Amino acid sequence: MHQIVQAIILGVLVGGVYALMASGLTLVFGVMKVINVAQGALVIFAAYLSYALFTDLHIDPFLSILIVTPAMFVLGVAVQFTFVRSLRGPDATELSLLVMWALALGIEGVLSVIFKTTYRISSPSYADNSWTVLGYRISEVRFFAFVASAVLLLLLSFVLTRTRFGRAVRAIVQNPTAATLLGVDSDRTQMLSFGLGVSLAAAAGAVYGVIYPFNPGSHYDLISRLLTIVVLGGLGSIGGAIFAAVGMGVIEALVTVEISPVWASFSFFVILIAFLLVRPQGIFGVRERTL
Amino acid sequence: MTRIPVRLAVVAGCVAVAAIAGSIGAGAAAPTAAPIKIGISLSLSGDFSDPGGFAKQGYELWAKTVNAKGGVLGRKVTLIIKDDASSPTQAATNYQNFITKDKVDLVFGPFSTLLTAPSAAVASRYGYAFIEPAGGGPAVFDQKLHNVFFTQPAPIVESGDVFVKWLHSLPKSKRPKTAAYPALDDPFSSPIADRMRGQLEKAGVKTVYKTIYPSENVDMTPIVSKIAAAKPDMVVGGTQAGDGYALVKAMVQAHFSPKFLFLSNGPNSPGEFPGKVGVKNVNGIFSASDWYQDSKTPGNKAFVKAFLKAYGGKASSIDPGSAEAYAVGQVVEAVAKKIHSIDNAKIIAALHKGSWPTVEGTLHWNSIGEPQGQFLLMEWLNHQLYPVLPKNVAVKKPVYPKPAWGK
Repeated sequence: MHQIVQAIILGVLVGGVYALMASGLTLVFGVMKVINVAQGALVIFAAYLSYALFTDLHIDPFLSILIVTPAMFVLGVAVQFTFVRSLRGPDATELSLLVMWALALGIEGVLSVIFKTTYRISSPSYADNSWTVLGYRISEVRFFAFVASAVLLLLLSFVLTRTRFGRAVRAIVQNPTAATLLGVDSDRTQMLSFGLGVSLAAAAGAVYGVIYPFNPGSHYDLISRLLTIVVLGGLGSIGGAIFAAVGMGVIEALVTVEISPVWASFSFFVILIAFLLVRPQGIFGVRERTL
Repeated sequence: MTRIPVRLAVVAGCVAVAAIAGSIGAGAAAPTAAPIKIGISLSLSGDFSDPGGFAKQGYELWAKTVNAKGGVLGRKVTLIIKDDASSPTQAATNYQNFITKDKVDLVFGPFSTLLTAPSAAVASRYGYAFIEPAGGGPAVFDQKLHNVFFTQPAPIVESGDVFVKWLHSLPKSKRPKTAAYPALDDPFSSPIADRMRGQLEKAGVKTVYKTIYPSENVDMTPIVSKIAAAKPDMVVGGTQAGDGYALVKAMVQAHFSPKFLFLSNGPNSPGEFPGKVGVKNVNGIFSASDWYQDSKTPGNKAFVKAFLKAYGGKASSIDPGSAEAYAVGQVVEAVAKKIHSIDNAKIIAALHKGSWPTVEGTLHWNSIGEPQGQFLLMEWLNHQLYPVLPKNVAVKKPVYPKPAWGK
């Protein structure tokens, strides 16, 4: 029983970080119907930025979120303006897949040239510390990572529910045509949403680089996990992404401890397939109605 | 309409440039002996670009050194190095082109088992000797090719043997009684852990936990939590670099420090390991390696000196990958000197007999290219990586049990 509870704690802590990454991916899809398969590469890019700030300027990785996030927001806006904005029409979603994948490979290539392919990890002085609470081990960095993710997700929720921009985003998610007719500036909202999605990847990347060793190729595994999370949560649903991410973290940790690491990822896919057979729109997704 | 003439012009231009370059090259060629052309596919981009770069340094250093001495059999050596982007298919294609289009005299191996296995098969088809520095996994030797010669002391799967032998030599009361075996699911790592487990179980070491994890498993914490609950005296990890670092980090965070810790890869990288796990956490960790900078192996002192002159840095930061590649050149130099030929069939026949001096030790192979020596047992002591066995190479004696993390 001790092992099971320990696994659940680990799973929840890790799931929080994945939730942050996945929320950016699902936000962009909800607003623009763009599947940003570069989200994993952007997370790794941010992990490198944070790593460089830590090793060269001794800026704590968690503090570096304050630098990396706005910088990558600007990058996200630029990417949307340059590559995504021109994709319109019925094939836009499919075309966006190719464009974003090209971006992911481009980022991987640039990182390989600059940082080489050896694994990196940001190791602040408290990286090895852990607390024992009621006999359960809680790593400090993982706890801080979870807290940082939770705070940022709350901030995202505030932006989406309490600001004019957030209302515009939600209006476009629900009905883009009606939102435009009511005066929502669709182009501007899409651009800012993409920037916001990338900045969420940035914050998650800074946190990711403290928990796991990474190299430029780490984005392949990341994006497969993130896509699974957003599909299970319901494409476009941030609440669903959070729920699915934490669920994935817990299931993987439990299967690793109780059965085998070999089955950990696979078990999550089994649950995903089983769930989608019953509820194809995902946990919090809305079934689209057609006439 | 305008595109075809432009293309034609470009093609014609290229042909003209190639022709001029060819004529200049022909004019500049030595009138007596043409250089020996050696084709090498290396991972200069992609996942293996770092180790590919280390191998390139070793190969180029050997070529420079041997050319300064007048070359091989009086002929200068020219390396034709092509990037395979870490792709086994591209590596095989590169070797096909070296042999059929570039008509090279010799080929040297690429980086890693993954690329060596298909490349060695191509070389075998054309009767070329395939002396190679980094393809030591079962996938290479399972092909049972007679043209392969691996320039490390032993097949990779045997890299833990020296540690097991050392454990056997300890007084019975000091030996570990229980062990856990986490291993990465790849062709190089899990066979090492499996082989060590078999040997240790025979010797009475009880297995309390074993698992294989896939490469996409980046989180070692749940695995370490399970290992810690089993309370083994020893952890033997069949690891590569990234998962090796993650495993140690997770153990540190879990405050779980076994009496003996051996990881097949990760701790054997003196430049990388301390930075990844924290320099204060390295002491007492064992690993295996094929080369050490202060080894008294043939030509090692000259190699280290030439390397530092050519590339700078410290001797302790020279990657073994450069020494492995340099050893390939040493083997060719020695065999050519002995048989007065660079004919591939004669080289293959000659290398199956006798011993060959290299910076990796004096090598000899069985019929399928497996070296018949043993790896070095390395241990982190006082925050430095030292060979502790075999005795003729050891700089320090093995220290056990492993101190607690941070000591």
